[in-house]
Amino acid sequence: MAGVVLETLSNKKLLILSFSLAIILTVFFLIGGIVAPSPNSVMDTLTVKCYDKDNGWHLNNMKPFTPRGKDSCKYIDSFNDEEIELKKIDANEIVFSQLLPLPKEGIDLDMSRWFQNLIAVMDVNVEYDEDNPYPENNKPEMLIEAKLFYRDKEDDESDWKLLAESSEQRTLDCTIEPERRRKGNLYTCELISLFELGSVHYDYYLINIRLPIDPRNTMNRIGKLADMHVIAIFQNGGFTKVWFSMKTVLFPMVLVVLVWFWRRVQTQGRSTNLTERTIFALGIILSIMNCPIEWLTLAVNMPYMMLLNDIRDGAFYAMLLSFWIIFVGEHMMDQVDRNRLMAYWKHLTVVILGCLALFIFEMCERGRQLVNPFFSIWSSEIGGAAAFGFIITAGIAACIYFLFLCYLVFRVFRNISLKRTSLLHMSTLRRKYYSGLIFRFKFLMIVTLLCAALTVIFFIIGQLSEGQWKWGDIDVSLEYTSAFLTGVYGMWNVYVIAILCLYAPSHKKFTTETDDTDTNSREEEVQLTQLPSEASTLTSFITKQSAD
Amino acid sequence: MEVSRRRRRKDDLPRAPTWWWWTLVILLVSMETRAVYALDMWWQLGVSGVERWKNHPTYVLGASQPVIGLCAQIKGLSARQLRLCTTYQDHMSSIGRGAKMGIGECQFQFRDRRWNCSTVQDSSVFGPLIQIASREAAFTHAISSAGVVHAVSRSCREGDLASCGCSRARRPKDLHRDWIWGGCGDNIEYGYRFAKAFVDARETERNHPRHSRELARMMMNLHNNEAGRKAVYNYAKVECKCHGVSGSCALKTCWQQLPTFREVGHRLRDRYDGATEIRFNRRGTKLVRKNKNFNKPSKEDLIYLDESPNYCVANPETGSLGTVGRVCDKQSQGMDGCSLMCCGRGYNTFKQKLTERCHCKFYWCCYVKCKTCERVVDVNTCK
Repeated sequence: MAGVVLETLSNKKLLILSFSLAIILTVFFLIGGIVAPSPNSVMDTLTVKCYDKDNGWHLNNMKPFTPRGKDSCKYIDSFNDEEIELKKIDANEIVFSQLLPLPKEGIDLDMSRWFQNLIAVMDVNVEYDEDNPYPENNKPEMLIEAKLFYRDKEDDESDWKLLAESSEQRTLDCTIEPERRRKGNLYTCELISLFELGSVHYDYYLINIRLPIDPRNTMNRIGKLADMHVIAIFQNGGFTKVWFSMKTVLFPMVLVVLVWFWRRVQTQGRSTNLTERTIFALGIILSIMNCPIEWLTLAVNMPYMMLLNDIRDGAFYAMLLSFWIIFVGEHMMDQVDRNRLMAYWKHLTVVILGCLALFIFEMCERGRQLVNPFFSIWSSEIGGAAAFGFIITAGIAACIYFLFLCYLVFRVFRNISLKRTSLLHMSTLRRKYYSGLIFRFKFLMIVTLLCAALTVIFFIIGQLSEGQWKWGDIDVSLEYTSAFLTGVYGMWNVYVIAILCLYAPSHKKFTTETDDTDTNSREEEVQLTQLPSEASTLTSFITKQSAD
Repeated sequence: MEVSRRRRRKDDLPRAPTWWWWTLVILLVSMETRAVYALDMWWQLGVSGVERWKNHPTYVLGASQPVIGLCAQIKGLSARQLRLCTTYQDHMSSIGRGAKMGIGECQFQFRDRRWNCSTVQDSSVFGPLIQIASREAAFTHAISSAGVVHAVSRSCREGDLASCGCSRARRPKDLHRDWIWGGCGDNIEYGYRFAKAFVDARETERNHPRHSRELARMMMNLHNNEAGRKAVYNYAKVECKCHGVSGSCALKTCWQQLPTFREVGHRLRDRYDGATEIRFNRRGTKLVRKNKNFNKPSKEDLIYLDESPNYCVANPETGSLGTVGRVCDKQSQGMDGCSLMCCGRGYNTFKQKLTERCHCKFYWCCYVKCKTCERVVDVNTCK
């Protein structure tokens, strides 16, 4: 009977194939490392303290406070200015304002649609002051009234349009070491998330923030504020270009291999088996992930793109995890005939549960942000607890999954070593053939492990190298984070392509009758053909062995 | 002081001076070259309040002719600094702010020492003391150049300056150099580069012979300026934010955060306390430490040539103001204690009625409503 390509492929061809796939992988890694810039850039901006003299904030047709340009606001240099005492400026009359992007190199820059997404966080600088202390015992609540405006290049300079406005509660968490408790030193405060935009469709963004105080409640009792930074993080245009091109190249490639694979399966003239169907589904989900619909963001405002991408990524990884379970289970080499999805319900429930938890979390956070970009699930106590609950659930599911997977893999290898002893009773040619089969199966297992290990190692190195981010890195020509992202993305594509190629049914018929004539092998041959639903001769062989 | 002002006028307003005026200037300059050169400082910007010029009509319009006039009005700029001023007019308020921060921090750090970083009302800012190549001069150079790095970087962040650095220099390949490709560079780096160009300009614009006092002083100033800049630049903190899928740390972006100027001040005061005395090497081209038992000064350390003058008694020649009349602490054993501060001369004690703000209702900023309280305290001043 026909096996899969992997079994009938000669060692030489297998070597050539794995070598070329390794080269492709290196190319992906180098594209990220050398061609692409780092995936994200930061604009660390210091907000300008505008003086809202006429209490304009509360007017319905509030004029935005712009930090610079034609009609910039009246502003205060620092909260220590004498001007504050002279004019009796109140905290309610201060509006923190900043316009993105900042001017650089003498050019008035504008945001680009290539940036894809924009995340803004606030860094609140609280100064140590004995007279006006930060409440260190209880984390103070902040009430942030924020407005986000946008404008395009061709619009009039004062024609700001409101993108979002919200009144958000956040908790401020600051600490200071005892030896630094001196006037003028700053607390170390946790960053506060401000907003997330799933698309950067407009040219300029204007942020206005107000921290209202009310003598009747305890909002915004945060000690002495020195400055407020708004840090904007966006994807680099260069990285987006590289990423889009990668997807555009990979999409048709995977699609072609997928079509070839399915036609191979169809021409076999028998019903498909579970492994084939799973591989096909994996290919389809990878193609969906690869589909470069992001190009549309350059023309259409698609704030849901970030959410969509997260879902597509999540679906792919869920499929990959399911594939591993099914793949290992189908090669269990015991008497049980699985070949049904139902046989794996326990394992797959864990995967689905974990992914569902992350999906709900994602929908709560990013889905809600489509309506209100200032929303953060972590800001409220219940939301934070719920979010934490979802993440814990996903984490537990991941742990159980890995226990399952390790157990299954362990059993496969134990079965293989048990069955190997019976190999000795077979003819030389057959023995050679079957040991080759086991070797190739193990080979693919090792490749899978290698891919998973590489992902984890790259990830850890990435975390370490980011933590040690320091001066002098400017000359480094290798962008590690980009290389990690493109490398891992390319690696899983290559992995799926390899599976599609190697696990496609083979045309070649492996015949042993030519020089092997003893009855034992004939009997084997009969046994082998009795199981038409089995994907590989390997499994049939093992089944036969156990039947003996 | 008179001399310095005249010399400035010569530089900036070359309006047909008569021959005797020239002779007088040259005579005076040749008599006190060193004094004039050392006294005329850009720190003046921090005192004369350039910030107010921000909203100056000529500045806002950006017309070139009046702005040159504006730069010329600033006392204490050397020729090259003047040129930088006209090219980067918008940076001048930051430099002023930086100088002001430097002076303020200097006075804070030395508030309880014999030399308390007091300023005088002329273009030298710190008075004739700065002529002496002492630790104090080293500190003032360092702190003011640190102030410029700090202030320029800060202004970059505020979007106040149009010409802060961008990605062009970061990706030297011919590939997509625009900011869309790789974003912009760091503002602290820009602040450092600009401060280096501006602050060091006055030192490097003339050549001095080997073994000369001027060369030694020039090298000392350059070193201390760099130490000040490094005290900001090298101690920037890294802050990161995770923003991968579902907020995971698969994607992490980091950026540099300026250290607070108070921290910079503390660091530089520690450097001041551990400053190294240096002298010329045998060839008269390099500065080496005087006492080989001490460690070699690093780029971040302060160096000085001369011993500090006696700050206990007023001396118009050195510029020391003395500690007579300074407030001291009777209990303290440190430098602010009466025994050390008054140099053993003893102290007067008297009662003073202090009017203070009290029972204030503070918010995160701004104007606060307070009551006024009166309190009688014992004040000790040095004899």
